[in-house]
Amino acid sequence: MAALSQLVDNVVVHTFELTGPQTRVGRHPDNDICIDELSVSSRHALIEAVVNSYLNDTVDYYINDRDSTNGTFINDVRIQDRQRLNSHDLVRIGWNLFRFVDEDESSLEKTAYILEE
Amino acid sequence: MALSATGVTDTGTKRATNQDAIACRVSDDGEAALAIVADGMGGYEGGGIASQLAVDALLEVLEPALVNSALDAVSVEELIQQAIDRASDSIARAQNRDSSLSKMGTTVVLAWVLGHRVHVAHLGDSRCYRVPGSGPVELKTRDDTVVQNMVDDGSITAAEAPRVPFRNVLTRALGSSSDVTASFGYFELAPGDCLLLCSDGLTDAVPDSEWRDLLNDSPGSLEARARNLLEQSLDNQAADNVSIVLVQG
Repeated sequence: MAALSQLVDNVVVHTFELTGPQTRVGRHPDNDICIDELSVSSRHALIEAVVNSYLNDTVDYYINDRDSTNGTFINDVRIQDRQRLNSHDLVRIGWNLFRFVDEDESSLEKTAYILEE
Repeated sequence: MALSATGVTDTGTKRATNQDAIACRVSDDGEAALAIVADGMGGYEGGGIASQLAVDALLEVLEPALVNSALDAVSVEELIQQAIDRASDSIARAQNRDSSLSKMGTTVVLAWVLGHRVHVAHLGDSRCYRVPGSGPVELKTRDDTVVQNMVDDGSITAAEAPRVPFRNVLTRALGSSSDVTASFGYFELAPGDCLLLCSDGLTDAVPDSEWRDLLNDSPGSLEARARNLLEQSLDNQAADNVSIVLVQG
């Protein structure tokens, strides 16, 4: 399961589980993750869950900025195009900070291995 | 031009064993050279067995042919594929003899050099580069990895690839894949160029943009130049085994 945990002063104040194929993030109430704060655009970012074409049982999470005013940042770098999220990435929506956590990612082997045929 | 070749391999700073295997040979007349890097994986010490079995089998087939500079391009590729098939069979036999080795496998990249002409064959993520006298190094192989597939289909950019958690997952390798048809490439060396084969321990530890200067900073023998690059990878705390084979005209 993957989730975005909102951080304030490095403390988790809220965790949003990413359950569907798409998660809309913005200030407008129709977003799946609604952040009522002025630096957030009404429709700010979109997170997509996509099944990996090459690795069974692996879901990749991608984030897109939806032409927001104050930008979407991963690890302090403003994203220009769709970008893959890696577990423990810091995601900033306007001035709001989140930690992306994908628990399934930590179960992947650390050493090289060959895809089973 | 008379070819020269050298190779260095090291456990790196984190691993307990070196599971890479390398080889390089130059014909007596200096007209032909063979370079091989294999990066083994899987099971306790199995990776080291797989990579050495692969290198031994490749040498067995290819070394006697080094004297035959009359081979055309098609014949060279057929011969290399025969050698790779034999390496695959050798690993499969060892797996059948000892079940504890059933998960072992190895990448392989090899270069067959005739004068300035270079044939490259590979399976896995060990790489071949052309290092020119000036300008950036050129990658001549395409990694057989999930991450490379994702870069090619546009899912991620090349800049994102090093951060992807499953970047070490291979799609093809000896010992696991039933189809061991190698990917082949061909290019020519210009005067002053150097050919470099390596395992991913080098690419992970030292950015390829720094290689040319590190190779050229050491004015000694070809081996001293290879060792200079290796030392830099160790200074950078190379987490994996590091292997480098150089061929120069």
